[in-house]
Amino acid sequence: MIQFDNVTFAYEKGKPVLSDVSFAIEKGETVGLIGANGAGKSTVMKLLLGLAGPGAGNKGVSGRADGKIIVDGEEVSPRNLSQIRRKLGFVLQNSDNQMFMPTVWEDMLFGLLNYGMTRQEAEQRAQKVLRELGQEKLRGLYNHRISGGEKRMAAVATVLAMDPEVLLMDEPTSALDPYNRRIVINTIRKLPCTKVITSHDLDMIYDTCGRVILLSEGRVAADGPSETILRDRGLLEANRMELPLRFQQ
Amino acid sequence: MHMADALLSPAVAATMYVASGTTVGLSVKKLTQDENTQKLPTMAVASALVFAGQMINYTIPGTGSSGHMCGGMLLSALLGPQAGFLSMAVVLTIQCLFFADGGLMALGANIWNMAFYGCFVGYYLIWRPIMRSRLFENLGAEAARRARIIAASIIGCIVTLQMGAFSVALETTLSGITELPFSAFCGLMLPIHLAIGLVEGLITAAVLTYVYAVRPELLRDVEVSEEVRKGSSKSLRTVIITLAVAVVVVGGIFSHFASSNPDGLEWALFGNEEAGYSANMGLDEENFGVSSAVSETAAGIQEKTSFLPDYAFAGSDNPMGTTVSGIVGSAMVAGAALLICYAGHFFRKKNA
Amino acid sequence: MSQNIERSIRDLREMDTLASGDSPLHRVSAGAKLLVTVVYILVVVSFDKFNMSGLMFMLLYPAVLFAVSGIPVSTCFYKLRFVLPIVCAVGIFNPILDRTPAFPLGSFVVTTGMISMVTLLMKGVFCLMASFLLAASTRIEAICAVLRKIHVPSMLVTLLLLTYRYAAVLAEEANVMTQAYNLRAPGQKGIHYKAWGSFLGQLLLRSMDRAEELYSSMLLRGYHGEFYYAQGGSSSIGDVLYAVSWCALFIAARCVNLTQLLGTSVLR
Repeated sequence: MIQFDNVTFAYEKGKPVLSDVSFAIEKGETVGLIGANGAGKSTVMKLLLGLAGPGAGNKGVSGRADGKIIVDGEEVSPRNLSQIRRKLGFVLQNSDNQMFMPTVWEDMLFGLLNYGMTRQEAEQRAQKVLRELGQEKLRGLYNHRISGGEKRMAAVATVLAMDPEVLLMDEPTSALDPYNRRIVINTIRKLPCTKVITSHDLDMIYDTCGRVILLSEGRVAADGPSETILRDRGLLEANRMELPLRFQQ
Repeated sequence: MHMADALLSPAVAATMYVASGTTVGLSVKKLTQDENTQKLPTMAVASALVFAGQMINYTIPGTGSSGHMCGGMLLSALLGPQAGFLSMAVVLTIQCLFFADGGLMALGANIWNMAFYGCFVGYYLIWRPIMRSRLFENLGAEAARRARIIAASIIGCIVTLQMGAFSVALETTLSGITELPFSAFCGLMLPIHLAIGLVEGLITAAVLTYVYAVRPELLRDVEVSEEVRKGSSKSLRTVIITLAVAVVVVGGIFSHFASSNPDGLEWALFGNEEAGYSANMGLDEENFGVSSAVSETAAGIQEKTSFLPDYAFAGSDNPMGTTVSGIVGSAMVAGAALLICYAGHFFRKKNA
Repeated sequence: MSQNIERSIRDLREMDTLASGDSPLHRVSAGAKLLVTVVYILVVVSFDKFNMSGLMFMLLYPAVLFAVSGIPVSTCFYKLRFVLPIVCAVGIFNPILDRTPAFPLGSFVVTTGMISMVTLLMKGVFCLMASFLLAASTRIEAICAVLRKIHVPSMLVTLLLLTYRYAAVLAEEANVMTQAYNLRAPGQKGIHYKAWGSFLGQLLLRSMDRAEELYSSMLLRGYHGEFYYAQGGSSSIGDVLYAVSWCALFIAARCVNLTQLLGTSVLR
């Protein structure tokens, strides 16, 4: 589904953010992308989405990239960007930046209408997603009036309404209280699509992801089942991480 | 400087709507041609910033009072005149709708008074010419740019605010709302806004020099190539001369009227007052096909009592009769209004 | 000083709480309400400056709307604090400059200047109530949809929508910043001039970064230059009736002094 082949990327010449990164994620997998601050997690996301690198073309912060980034058999490029973005759903860390319409409901419809659905179809689809998430109460609410936990669920809902094949999530549990964090974790576990999650919340990663890719200074330091990597104190500490709380005794 | 609906006659309000609406249309057209879709979110966030920034109090040293910023110059320096104008227009619309600051009908005038001058005059006649000029060159490149930013911000805020205040006075007078002669109105408005403009200019200058120090690429026209500068050193001179001539001419005309006849301006603007003040209400009556009884009698009395040509008498052939029925009727309407409000309250309580 | 921002945030929230309410007025289509409001304001403002009694009749429109919608009158009067001072400042000169006697009220002589001042104040209050009632009974999406329908450029409407959203976010951020400032600068009324630039400048820079992220988020959901607005359904008969009957009443009140008529008929 997603494949990085020897990807090297730099915003500025001589300062690579990613060096020779390779991995492949199969359909249906849930993968945690972990690493210290500045390890290159968000850059991986941006490259996939075409917000930087080859997909972004020449304008903006495109940077210099080598290697291949493949999503669902197609190499990311400005030409096929809209098809690729259609398959990917990205949940931003800052929900306020993701939800730009006044109400949750309009926000959910935004993407659907942009992809040519009629309003009626879009509304049915959005209603279905809210029901599945058990968040029907969000429907009439204003984005600037809802709590942090509701914001996160609303952001997930806007992305799920698009019916993505791959869900990319950036710190889905940051700044949430334990109750809302648990709701988000349970939601992630229930979703059947392919998921890539970046986070420093390793307990959440352990709960949701079968596999973990550990990035360190722009390189893949480890790639394997979370059962082994998240229990390997030496490996994690060598890469400025710690064991998940539940394994620390 | 937000005007209320009550300060404008429909004719003046409509004229200002047309003026602002045309500017909006032209700006949208220009921006659509540029086809820079990224600009829209930047504009939205910038106008939200101005909205939030206007709420912050800035202590004015030595006075104990605080100032605010308006944002026209700030937006045009960040976004350029067209995008700045639209952003400012949107800020004013939101203030009008959700904060009752200004009015729905006065919106056209408010956009003109605050957004047009701040963005278009501020950018084309002040910001860009000063940025491209050779002013302060002896300070060294870096310091010269900073000095130009400060100068343009302060001059820009003062000049555009003066223009806005002048327009407020002009629009109110043209609407026939106030008995205050135009010259006296200006005499009140302009000095107040001179002080406000200075404070606003200083705040804008502080913000823009900070932005220049940290992220200079966000500001427009700050880095100018030598060729552009060569070509436009003349243009600054032209602008200054044009502005000076305009100020002298406009000032001359107005002070001439003001001194030759205290109400001279009204006379000039509204035509001959002897014909009755209803002349300045001409448009309303055309719209509605009626002139009220009061204005007719007023005009009649005015003709007879020429020693009071400017003032009207709200009487009629049977002054006491109409007055009493007017008072009784008004009391009844007020009573009915109260009753309706209470009834609504009562029924809702019952249903709740 | 952060009270200033907090109050604005509260104002904004209050308006959208009111607008999300439900009442017969809330259910009238936004287009009909907008039309009636505009006609009302035009008619009110066009009243002669001495025609106080004729203008009085226009009070019935806001009274009925307040009663039907259940929107509190007090909230509206609280908003007058912005508008009334300016109107007063302009109107206060009328009784001073225009001392033509109009009619005696006991031993007190009412002058036309007083009448024109009161009329001006009434106009100010009436217009404000009308705009307030529109905003307090109509949600922002509905207003935007109507604006699109009457061919206001899509760029402007979208800008309005996005600004409305981020005004709340940035006001909140500015509020947190001023609180943080106040905690470290007790007793200061506002921002010290040495921090003028960096205070708003910081917020500005962060906002520009935010705009970039916001733009990505729009692109990721297929944005290509157009926002889609709710059609809002075609106007029902009720909406048409609402608009037509109010407009007819306003124009009648403008042509004939209904207050006077009422008074005469009672006195007879």
